[in-house]
Amino acid sequence: MMPGFAKRLDRVELAASVQMTIKARALKAAGKPVITLTTGEPNFDSPPHAIEAAHQAALAGDTKYPPQDGTRQLKEAIQRKFKRDSGLDYALDEISVGNGGKQCLFNAIMATVDPGDEVIIPVPSWIAYAQMVQLCEGVPVLVNCPQNNGFKPRAEDIDAAITPRTKWLILNNPNNPTGACCTAEEIAAIAAVMRKHPHVWILSDDMYEHLVFDGFKFATFAEVAPDLKDRTLTVTGVSKTYAMTGWRIGFAGGPKALIKAMTVMQGQATAGISTVGQAAAAAALDGPNDGVEAQIVAYKRRRDFAVDMLNAAKGISCHKPEGAFYVFPNVAGCLGKTTTGGRMLNTDEDVCLALLEENYVATVHGAAYHMSPFLRISTATEDEELMEGLRRIQTFCEGLH
Amino acid sequence: MSLASDRLNRIQPSLTIAISTVARGMIAEGKNVISLSQGEPDFDTPRNIKDAAIAAMERGETKYTDVAGTITLRKAVTEAFARDTGIQYKPEEIIISTGAKQVLFNCMVSTLNPGDEVVIPSPCWVSYPDIVTLADGKPVLVPCGQNNGFKLRAEDLEAAITPRTKWFMLNNPCNPTGAAYSAEDLKPICEVLMRHPHVWILTDDIYDKLAYNGFKPGTIVAVEPRLKDRTLTVHGVSKSYAMTGWRIGFAAGPVALIKAMDKLQSQSTSNPNTIAQAAAIEALLGPQDTVEAMRKVFEERRDMVVEMMNACPGINCGKPDGAFYVYPSIHGCIGKTSKSGVLIKDDEAFVLTLLADEGVATVHGAAFCFPGYFRISYANATEDLREGCARIQRFCQGLT
Repeated sequence: MMPGFAKRLDRVELAASVQMTIKARALKAAGKPVITLTTGEPNFDSPPHAIEAAHQAALAGDTKYPPQDGTRQLKEAIQRKFKRDSGLDYALDEISVGNGGKQCLFNAIMATVDPGDEVIIPVPSWIAYAQMVQLCEGVPVLVNCPQNNGFKPRAEDIDAAITPRTKWLILNNPNNPTGACCTAEEIAAIAAVMRKHPHVWILSDDMYEHLVFDGFKFATFAEVAPDLKDRTLTVTGVSKTYAMTGWRIGFAGGPKALIKAMTVMQGQATAGISTVGQAAAAAALDGPNDGVEAQIVAYKRRRDFAVDMLNAAKGISCHKPEGAFYVFPNVAGCLGKTTTGGRMLNTDEDVCLALLEENYVATVHGAAYHMSPFLRISTATEDEELMEGLRRIQTFCEGLH
Repeated sequence: MSLASDRLNRIQPSLTIAISTVARGMIAEGKNVISLSQGEPDFDTPRNIKDAAIAAMERGETKYTDVAGTITLRKAVTEAFARDTGIQYKPEEIIISTGAKQVLFNCMVSTLNPGDEVVIPSPCWVSYPDIVTLADGKPVLVPCGQNNGFKLRAEDLEAAITPRTKWFMLNNPCNPTGAAYSAEDLKPICEVLMRHPHVWILTDDIYDKLAYNGFKPGTIVAVEPRLKDRTLTVHGVSKSYAMTGWRIGFAAGPVALIKAMDKLQSQSTSNPNTIAQAAAIEALLGPQDTVEAMRKVFEERRDMVVEMMNACPGINCGKPDGAFYVYPSIHGCIGKTSKSGVLIKDDEAFVLTLLADEGVATVHGAAFCFPGYFRISYANATEDLREGCARIQRFCQGLT
């Protein structure tokens, strides 16, 4: 008997990065020398003081149901973090903790979006935004951020996309998959548009906020436009900054009514979040930052050689992004050509699959982030391995005819 | 435009918040409050399980895992199911989530369309109807009276099933009543389900290791293997291994359903905490003697609480076979007045007045969709429990 699923589920798909990772794993299991440049997670270890804090929490019996919106200890550390990094003051009831930043976004969308409500998403973007909106029967309104604008949203394009049904604008700085990061001035221009539209809420996803290079100064929306803080949700977490993806701790700061609504939603979906993860996250936020500094140096070094090597590949042009651990090369010059293995390349997905199956390099195609023809390459990979992957991409391009 | 979505507005405000808010206020004022309201073991997580978690984090198991959980944990779950119930599952028939609650949420959100009905025996954990409502479904509550030990009768299930019924949810042993179904008890229920092939079955067995006096809870698939291809068996480590804060629940079911739930989880939370997954492996496959040690203590406490409740004027308490709750009737107290002058007009007035006058926090039956009763959790230190029950006795003796 076939199970009948909810129609809402038909609107959701498994993330392309996950599908590519699964394909790469299968090839690896078959003995192929696969280099995986698909994953959005740091290749570093979690900070020792975070591990120690989790260890102590477990031994001390911190193993009971936590409050649904987060432990007091972690929420106080988050409060200090928002103040320290962005000058933002949030009360404890304006903060909630989720199973990753993803759950904070999910809670916010589920708690606010009704069928037909529109959510503006500048693209390229992380696929989860549109998926969550569709799951709620909302309408994702995609605003193109072309390469010639450094993959950043233009204030006038956002203005043009707003309708009476617009509920949210989602901003992601630095951006997954492009690494682009708006400056404070660019955010101020968007804020000026938002002031004209008081019915639109702003979700600022700052998960990669600390991973910026060349002295770039990161600024978050509520910091740039304090007068709009009462309709802004600021989401971030410890996963990317502190190499703590597996601990699953994200958090959000926002107006009390919204945070309360998100907590009610989370109360139905998962209830509270793992206590050892919360203890580790609190220690990471309050702890020394030298490990993070060293990682930023590594990500910058990798970005630099990745951009150079990709621009040296025939048919590829690669923009140099401000942050995150991705580069997003344009593969337009590869389309219409044939690989050494005899495959015709019509789309970026074709490039992605041929690259994996012929040269054993796993990447994700741009279409999965709503913009073609591009590839997303993660630089959260050891230098040597990343370099070998990039060499293979060069070889692949060399062989196109 | 209002901020909250319609789906959020459908969630009932929690009926237990009033109680916990008052209790917290009393504690803050320095009053001695005994809380018999929480649904978690008072024991600490066993040391071998903590050690496994610590070893995992030191090995660097701090990265994303598969959305549905590590293959090692999913294999461990299949081994535990085979050992404990004799049911054989493959790892691709397993999903690991952030608590069993997320399993229920994934299941309902990924299968219910507007108007689909879900049959739920009551008294029940209020999250069952809440999650169904959130997913646009319609909870169909089937009252299960005290005179049948709060257990569902097959004929009542039969009468509740319609062409729109999508799921039947069973909690065995049950929160809040502690009622449990043996394999024999489940047979007539399975017969009804065999006659209605469009109905899927969710059996929440999270308390099944906590059963007393040699009682052995059954489970649907073991009783009727032909129902396996439309049954989701839900379980977790929270209650059996005192691991509530680690947030690991899981489920076994047909691949297509597990895949649908995996897809939803990939867009809502991704994998549960990686370290907690390592801890759960040790819980399931490591030494099981701590489970038995905790079970024995619960059994002694259950006996004591039932005896002390039945010594209260106006209270009638059955002796349930499982979980760590009792669900006494307070029908004999309703309409009376407390020493402090409060009219006990219903179960909510009973628990609020009991809390204010004697400093004992419990949960009223209305919070489990079944008024006229209250729930006592005996997952508390035996001495606190004895003192709490003595205070309830004093409170009832004072009713006039």
